[in-house]
Amino acid sequence: MRAQFRSRIRLILSLIVCAAFFILLRLYFIQVVQGHEYVQKADRQFASGGNGVFDRGSIYVVRKDGALISAAALSTGFLVAINPQTLTDPEAAYAAIAVVASSTLLSHDAFLAVTTKKNQVYIEVAHRLTDEDGRALAARAISGVHVLHENWRYYPGGSLAAQSIGIVSYGSGDVLAGQTGLEAKYDGTLSRSGDLLYKNFFAELFSNVGNLLVNAKDAREGNIETTIEPEIQTRLENDLAKVNERYSSKESGGIIMDPSTGAIVALASYPFYNENDLQNVDPTLFGNPLVEHVYEFGSIMKPITMTSALDAGVITPETTYTDTGCITVDTKSICNWDSKARGVIPMQQIIVQSLNVGASWIATRLGQDTFREYFTRLFGQKTGIDLPNEGHALLGNLSKPQQVGYDTAAFGQGIAITPIQMIRALGAIANGGMMVQPHLVSAVRLDSGIVRKLDWSKKTPVFSATAARETTQMMTALVDQKLEGGKAMISTMSVAAKTGTAQLIDGHGGYFSDHFFHSFVGFFPSYNPRFIILLYTNDPQHVEYASETLDTTFLGLVHFLIDYYQIPPDRGFATTTPA
Amino acid sequence: MRNKRFNFSFSLLPFCSGIVAILLVSYIGLIAVVMSYAALTVEFSQSVRNDESKVATLESEYLASVARTANTNYATAGYAKPLTKLFVRVQSATALR
Repeated sequence: MRAQFRSRIRLILSLIVCAAFFILLRLYFIQVVQGHEYVQKADRQFASGGNGVFDRGSIYVVRKDGALISAAALSTGFLVAINPQTLTDPEAAYAAIAVVASSTLLSHDAFLAVTTKKNQVYIEVAHRLTDEDGRALAARAISGVHVLHENWRYYPGGSLAAQSIGIVSYGSGDVLAGQTGLEAKYDGTLSRSGDLLYKNFFAELFSNVGNLLVNAKDAREGNIETTIEPEIQTRLENDLAKVNERYSSKESGGIIMDPSTGAIVALASYPFYNENDLQNVDPTLFGNPLVEHVYEFGSIMKPITMTSALDAGVITPETTYTDTGCITVDTKSICNWDSKARGVIPMQQIIVQSLNVGASWIATRLGQDTFREYFTRLFGQKTGIDLPNEGHALLGNLSKPQQVGYDTAAFGQGIAITPIQMIRALGAIANGGMMVQPHLVSAVRLDSGIVRKLDWSKKTPVFSATAARETTQMMTALVDQKLEGGKAMISTMSVAAKTGTAQLIDGHGGYFSDHFFHSFVGFFPSYNPRFIILLYTNDPQHVEYASETLDTTFLGLVHFLIDYYQIPPDRGFATTTPA
Repeated sequence: MRNKRFNFSFSLLPFCSGIVAILLVSYIGLIAVVMSYAALTVEFSQSVRNDESKVATLESEYLASVARTANTNYATAGYAKPLTKLFVRVQSATALR
């Protein structure tokens, strides 16, 4: 019995010894026989700089059919580093690297200079090699030359929505982080912690089992899904570039938003920049004028003044006033754009004919306190858009007792507003008096697989639905009767719009008489709008009125959106109409 | 009084040697598993990144074609605006037809 047990023990031991021998043999082959091959493979997996291979979540734009298109993604390739201590032939190494990395390689002299730094073991000399080039160089196995995996931020659209998407750079630290736009605003979601790409399961099991089962990062890290529609964004950018070039403006911008939800489908500011090539970009372009800068918008403020007065009950659409063409307030002269008197006219004509005297008359009827109350409610706070560095409106004139400040504010001069605040306020007219929260990101797609929809449902009532509708009727009449002499009217689609031409400040307390800021706002279908469009161009040359610079662009966008989204007619219901 | 004595039916030394051998092999095995797991994870992760990068290149081509289309002047390309546009009434959303 005892002998039998011993023989069993010996059998088990011999099996264990065999297994151990097999593993040792395997280790010998891996470490000695195939060691060089594995060293190269490990080199390519080596995390350069000690911070791990750069990793970051994607930013998607969403096509109208729901397809996600990357606006910011990762590109992969290789970098080349040298070890001056083991580099034996710098000239040959430079020649070999130059074949595959001529564009990003250090100059010949700079390369030779770094090879003399014998106290260092790792110096990066070329970046962003393609997969093929990287593998080809690695296959040459040049002593002292290491080819390592590298990821970098890549923007498939180039300049598409550049100011909204933002950029990633080192900033003040040594970690790549979002610096502008959504890259900065959602950096916490997009950035990846410096942990290794894998976990030591057994180490985690003994030391941090909680983290292994429920990973806090999974609830934070992910990709973001924007409301930007790539084809509309492209179209808007294209149109703004044409306007800017045609009139040699300083800058032009535009926003297209769903007025009922605040979802921004396109947001662009010209000049643009290519996010994949930042070396020669003017740093001032990295900001986003649509949320950071303030402008005096001119007459597109009149619908807001009108709606405020209708809502306050100080006027009705049938109210009339006597238009004298020019008035004097606090020793300042306020005139209509053509200085002509209209006599006794109803409120609608203030919008249709864009009468400054009429807007001033409404401001006086409202009274300073009520006027300030409405404008502070509309422009007194930031919109809360999910972009960094949002600017404040400048409403200083509404804190002073001089009536002229209120009268000029009524037609959009003397107070300065950000474009995003402006479209939100005008969107309240389109949205039955409710002000929405403009936003660019609709959802966060977490790495855990959960899609977390962001809540942008907060709405602020500012006008009554009746007041908003009455102003909408006036703006619709403008398009049907006045815009392009009535030719802009679409027989099957109601469109509400208003142009704005503001004089630019001269920096000496006054205004230029020959430099203007042109703006244009419109929404359609007028009484159940799908989109609101705000356009502006700053200091266009040799042209005075916004109706000359922006109406074609606005109407082109309206027709494009109607066709693209197949928006059904809301009036006329003709089965056949002229194109 | 009778002395109590433990009697082992086998030698203690081979038993302990066996245990040590098993632990040694298990340790080496665990290291091998962890290293293989780590290497595979890194490789898989990089492979996913490579695929995403290829998709991004395709997306770049798509967006470039969208920009080309937006820039195209159809009049100079020989196209004309349609003579008429046909509209239909929007259908009721109710399921009861």
